[in-house]
Amino acid sequence: MPVVEVKHLKKYYGKSRGIEDVDFNIEAGEIFGFIGPNGAGKSTTIRTMLALIHPTAGSANIFGKDCQRYAPEIAREVGYLPSEVFYYDTMRAGDLLRYSASFYKKDCSRRIRELSDTLDLDLSKKIDDLSFGNRKKVGIIQGLLHEPSLIILDEPSIGLDPLMQQRFFSLLLQENQRGATILFSSHILSEVQKICGRVAIIKEGRIIHEEKMSTFRESSYKKVAVESATPLDPAYFQLEGITSLETNGRSASFIYRGSVNVLMQRLAALNLSNVSIGEPDLEEVFLHYYQ
Amino acid sequence: MNMYWHELRANLRSLILWSVGIVSLIAAGMAKYAGFVSAGDSINALFAAMPPAIQAIAGSNRLDLSKASGFYGVCFLYIAVMATIHASMLGANSLAKEERDKTSEFLYTKPVSRTQVITSKLLAALTNIVILNLITWGSSLLLVGYFGQGEDVSRYIRTLMAGLFCIQLLYLSFGSVSAAFARKPAAAAGIATAIMMGTFLLSMLIDINSDLDVLKYLTPFKCYDAKLLLPPNGIEPVYLLLSAGLVVVSIVAAYLLYQRKDLAV
Repeated sequence: MPVVEVKHLKKYYGKSRGIEDVDFNIEAGEIFGFIGPNGAGKSTTIRTMLALIHPTAGSANIFGKDCQRYAPEIAREVGYLPSEVFYYDTMRAGDLLRYSASFYKKDCSRRIRELSDTLDLDLSKKIDDLSFGNRKKVGIIQGLLHEPSLIILDEPSIGLDPLMQQRFFSLLLQENQRGATILFSSHILSEVQKICGRVAIIKEGRIIHEEKMSTFRESSYKKVAVESATPLDPAYFQLEGITSLETNGRSASFIYRGSVNVLMQRLAALNLSNVSIGEPDLEEVFLHYYQ
Repeated sequence: MNMYWHELRANLRSLILWSVGIVSLIAAGMAKYAGFVSAGDSINALFAAMPPAIQAIAGSNRLDLSKASGFYGVCFLYIAVMATIHASMLGANSLAKEERDKTSEFLYTKPVSRTQVITSKLLAALTNIVILNLITWGSSLLLVGYFGQGEDVSRYIRTLMAGLFCIQLLYLSFGSVSAAFARKPAAAAGIATAIMMGTFLLSMLIDINSDLDVLKYLTPFKCYDAKLLLPPNGIEPVYLLLSAGLVVVSIVAAYLLYQRKDLAV
């Protein structure tokens, strides 16, 4: 049974679109990347899953239970880090975390200590006096202190310095090894590339692509650049699997997905002066989804 | 219980400030009374020289201002206004502040239902108004006793405090339903204050123009009016029933509306 099942989820705020039709599953133990540009509907999807808002149509199940009806029950095993963290400003970080822990029926004090040591957070400071990055750390600890089996992260690494990002990611991997399923929403592809096993791309409120990370990595995509002795005709590159084509006089570059043999035959007919074929980074692969 | 204590702690500062405000108001009012009395001035004559509208609002045409109880009755209007502002804001802000301060993503993703959250918040708010009422009661007894001329006012004050508690409950529930009704969290306190001001002005209009007397059921300030509560009069049962009905309807509406609400973040 999937940990998360989102079925044709739709949310309109009055007349403005939140999401149109979002549909995906997350299996137990997965780290699932949820990527898309700002305003695509990532946060709307997550907030609906957390029952902060109600769907216009469709539904979402978490642990096999309807996320709206059984929200409190589901929440026991869910840790959530919102994209912007806001807490009771006058509380000390430690008090806030203890307050957060008091909602779960377990003793989390050791875990609060461990996590705050790992992330280098001073628990005696008032929330109001914390920097943006340090507030984010409070958010991370708050989301992880009860050892949830589903961790939902919305743009989690914004505001963290590279060292903290690294520690945070290794924390997540630890949690994942412990058995936690992770939904990682982001618009930064490189961090998704680093950690996720599978990704879904959301654009204008719809999932437009879903794939295993390994498939992306398994060089099915090639980044090709050619230079020719004679001017190149863009029409010559109208081949299935070619995207992001850019031609400029005697040079051309594109992303190719498909049989290498077909590509080579096509290229062989050209009078080439130079060629490079390499691995694109995800950014380049996804760019055409974004546009 | 954790949410209840959290709320109480969050409201403590404001409760202390409001208490100090109300006690000061009573102290200042009764000190003025003592001043009038010792100077041998006739307060009744002073008020009689004022425009009839002001007399009507102050209640000096019905209350004997030369007596501590009468003077206190005039002060009570201002005590009631303060207590209603407190209760309205408390009701509205207790619920709306999580959205306003964007802490709703913290609280409402915890393993508690919205019903539990609202219940904790309302219980904490109720605790606050009870404490404010008891402080008002205690300080009234002490101060009226101290400045008064040996007149027994405890029964009158007890009736007024019962009325005050009804008013507090009413505006607390109006505040809560405003928060549940408001699309934007910042609007909650505004709606609650508008209700409070509207009903207050209406009660003044009724005082000035007796033709409007039928409208008295629309404003709690009229139902629990100090000048009508002098012994041997008590609170009219019909007002109590009406108030209880309004409180129940408002609170139930607040629960239902909050259940269906999309929380702003």
